[in-house]
Amino acid sequence: MLRVARVLIPVMLALAAVSSGAQTPPPTDAAVTPPAAAAPMADPAAAPAAEPAAADPAAAAEPAAAAPDTRALDEQIQTLKKDAVDLNRELFMLEEELLFPANTQVALFLSMDVGEYFAIDTVQVKIDNKEVSNYLYTPREAEALLRGGVQRLYLGNLKVGDHELVAIFTGKGPSERDYRRGAALRFKKSVGAKYLELKISDRQRRAQPEFEIKDWE
Amino acid sequence: MATLLAFGAATAALSAERALRAGQAAPDFALRSVGGPNLRLSEQLGEVVVVAFWSSRCGPCRAHLKELDSLHAALKDQGLIVYAVNVDDDMRAAREYAAGLSLKIPLLLDPGKGVARAYRVDTLPMMFSIDRQGIVRGVRRDDRSGAPSNAGAELRRLLAQ
Repeated sequence: MLRVARVLIPVMLALAAVSSGAQTPPPTDAAVTPPAAAAPMADPAAAPAAEPAAADPAAAAEPAAAAPDTRALDEQIQTLKKDAVDLNRELFMLEEELLFPANTQVALFLSMDVGEYFAIDTVQVKIDNKEVSNYLYTPREAEALLRGGVQRLYLGNLKVGDHELVAIFTGKGPSERDYRRGAALRFKKSVGAKYLELKISDRQRRAQPEFEIKDWE
Repeated sequence: MATLLAFGAATAALSAERALRAGQAAPDFALRSVGGPNLRLSEQLGEVVVVAFWSSRCGPCRAHLKELDSLHAALKDQGLIVYAVNVDDDMRAAREYAAGLSLKIPLLLDPGKGVARAYRVDTLPMMFSIDRQGIVRGVRRDDRSGAPSNAGAELRRLLAQ
């Protein structure tokens, strides 16, 4: 909570600074601009009278003075954006910690090696005979997996004790035929997070895909 | 009579409340398509997408799909993507119906109706216009204003953003 407050407070302060800056002119402007010069700008009828002043070097410097102000505002916005992104990350982590505390957390990952004998279509995952995930892959996602991507397929909570995980894979097997295979793993959930990986690889010797579930000890 | 009217008004209000509204984030989904690859909505983030729900048992859906196909042909070069989501129980009927229409837009199959439920579809045909940020900007039902041809201006505006 303290971490969030640490990030949230500067963001709110920066937001307040930006909004007040947008509504009222910066005090430095008011200090360098004589009231007499400011008045004709506010009065449209007097605008032609102000035109000759543009030739005055002091007046010409005015836009140049405005440029650093814009730069400062831009820097403030960038800082604000960075703070917002940091805050979002902190909140995401906090949410995960709250929803999936380490002592009950179970995460399931999926990875693919090669993929010569198997083109993935869906993966259905059951834990203790209850479906927890049923994922349909698009060609883009399948390609990402083949390029070495690891997908977090499921994140949930489990009680300490013995459990069974069953994964059913469907797709195209060797010779472009419809392919459906299952893999099962009995595992023990102790205190502390549990990480499991569904690994699809090619078994060259049998010219078949291989499906295994690894327990990240 | 008054009770009936009140009941009707209450039902309509409930239905309007339940339906996905403009300004809400479009729920993501991945579905199989007829004769094509699996498609996921979130992979089209940055494009303007129309998600239209239809069924082979729905009378106006035929004309609706043809209009959507024409609209897609006219605006696809500007980046319009159309997903026509079928909600039939019988996938064979849906495939045959689609084959008879010879459409160019991808026809997706939602036999479990999970996507239709996520979009809170309460009538057929029904279409949702989704902007480049993945936000629903228009919801059209099967009435005169709900015809896809009437959505052209709205879609052009979204494509121009």
